[in-house]
Amino acid sequence: MITVRIPTPLRTVTGGQSEVQVEGSTVSEMIEKLAEVHPGIKERLYDERGEVRRFINIYVNEEDIRFLTGKDTPLKDGDEVSIVPAIAGGG
Amino acid sequence: MQSANPALTIPHTIWNEMIAHAKECAPHECCGMLAGTDGTVLAHYRITNILQNLTDQELSRFDGAKLRDLQCLLPEERADIAFQMDAREMALAQKDIRAKGFQLQAFYHSHTSSPARPSQTDITIAMEFESYREKLGIPQPLHIIISLADEDRPDIKAFRIADHASVEVPLACEGK
Repeated sequence: MITVRIPTPLRTVTGGQSEVQVEGSTVSEMIEKLAEVHPGIKERLYDERGEVRRFINIYVNEEDIRFLTGKDTPLKDGDEVSIVPAIAGGG
Repeated sequence: MQSANPALTIPHTIWNEMIAHAKECAPHECCGMLAGTDGTVLAHYRITNILQNLTDQELSRFDGAKLRDLQCLLPEERADIAFQMDAREMALAQKDIRAKGFQLQAFYHSHTSSPARPSQTDITIAMEFESYREKLGIPQPLHIIISLADEDRPDIKAFRIADHASVEVPLACEGK
């Protein structure tokens, strides 16, 4: 199983859960399975072209998937995936 | 600015680079990261503010009051009152920080017409970041705001944000 850490803004689609367990041999497959249980999460992560949104980082353990093999990044049992929105704010 | 016990020491060159960045981006807000060791800044990363590229759905990450303000503006005007760091650039900076053996010391952004203190939006999103920061192995950063409210005298202040509140901490500019 893969542990996925869910950031505060996305917890509305995970029923308030901050961590969920899901299966998947790649990031893409894991997100498909996550979306089966938590509809709406895929649209929050991917843009209309199916790419990870420009303000979202997806880390496998401590590495951003953009510097691995993107959505094809392989996952193995025990991996930790963190979904992290980049910093924002404003006065 | 000098302080006997600064929470963060910033070399004069980087201090000036941050002000230059804020002025270049105005009227949009700028944003970036500072890294180093033991409370001393050694590296500066400009990050692109991608706010004007966000779709209406993506803007929903902002809190209610800020979201309403943003929705009243044209996309090209929205970065005047908010920023969204480009996630790829932020991750690249993190990677460089690790490669150099540094730690993240601070995030910074500018307020082009309001004072150098965190807005409610700044605090809310900083607390979001706090909720997963430790699990990513990142030390707690300060949040620096560069105010251009007085164009001739940019004001730079640093804050530690915790428990949904901000506390100003002293900064030192070294080599001035």
